[in-house]
Amino acid sequence: MDKLSTQRLPPLKRNWWLKHRFFKLYMLREATVLPLVFFTLCLLAGMVALLQGADSWQGWIVFMGSPIVLLLNLLALAASLFHAATFFVLFPRVMPIRIAGHSLPDQAIVAGQWAGVVAVALLFFWLFGRA
Amino acid sequence: MNTEQINAKNVSTKHISVKRYMPDSSAEPYWQQYELPVDDSTSLLDALNHIKEQLDSTLSYRWSCRMAICGSCGVMVNGIPKLGCKTFLRDYEGEIRIEPLSHFPVQRDLVVDMAIFLEHLAAVKPYLIDDNPVKPYDPQAPETYQQSPEQLARYKQFANCINCGLCYSACPQFGLNPEFLGPAALTLAHRYNLDSRDHGKKQRMAELNRHEGVWSCTFVGFCSKVCPKHVDPAAAVNQGKVEAAKHTLIALFKG
Repeated sequence: MDKLSTQRLPPLKRNWWLKHRFFKLYMLREATVLPLVFFTLCLLAGMVALLQGADSWQGWIVFMGSPIVLLLNLLALAASLFHAATFFVLFPRVMPIRIAGHSLPDQAIVAGQWAGVVAVALLFFWLFGRA
Repeated sequence: MNTEQINAKNVSTKHISVKRYMPDSSAEPYWQQYELPVDDSTSLLDALNHIKEQLDSTLSYRWSCRMAICGSCGVMVNGIPKLGCKTFLRDYEGEIRIEPLSHFPVQRDLVVDMAIFLEHLAAVKPYLIDDNPVKPYDPQAPETYQQSPEQLARYKQFANCINCGLCYSACPQFGLNPEFLGPAALTLAHRYNLDSRDHGKKQRMAELNRHEGVWSCTFVGFCSKVCPKHVDPAAAVNQGKVEAAKHTLIALFKG
């Protein structure tokens, strides 16, 4: 079509997300997966070490206690909490909960999710805190 | 800004840079700066009208209602999609850069080709489909559709869309892949799926439940931020994902 030849549509560049704050925050949210990949690899290595025997297991414990690994896993914890904070706010918009024809207020759903996080954390402290 | 502080006599001079594109005279777009008097009540659309009438009659842009209901005056203001009539120059200090809406082909100056947007809207069958009515139509005793306020409330927010296209300019996924149905079309589909009078969900699912449908959305959420009517398209699209997932599961078990 002749009309199209005079139209301009510059393609989106790879650095589109650097344009403003909102997109940078979105990319930060998506990037939280990177330290979490490290954490899950650590857990996987722990399982393998457990199967290989006592020496290997002790080696894994020493590895997990090294400062750089502790630092990366602290980063993973912070990243997962940040991701949770952003996700929990989005959740009531994706799945508005209706009970007996009335929709539950967003704040109640967000608070409920954080209560769940605290409950799971307390359960694990109770299970492993004494060991 | 506090409404009491708005003063029509508070006149000052501001500079607006407009990205011009005139394919008949120049193959490349260029920036043109205009200097114009503004007061606290001057909207961006007022400013563009002033330029067109007083300074430069060659400037092209779309507008109609000047009250945020026709949805034709969308432009990028300092990189963010806005309605010209709902944007006030009093809120901007320093440079004001006006560009045509992103992610659409530019025809001339601030005028973009929205054909693909209209195609995506039409693709989701945005109208009441009553192929399988609860009660068949009886010509002897025709009945109007009845809907309770509660049933209306379920979709009302998503029915406020004015088709301005700001959400498409805000959506990087649409920018990367124009085949993505995009925020407004998916929201409109969801609006009809939620309507108690409609029975067309199954037909719309074919469009929604595919990669270029709801699954291209990564919940960037900027569409909802820029929406001038607070429709929250990001919520609608992601509720559509839940519906699409349910649809897939049900289809799986039905065989």
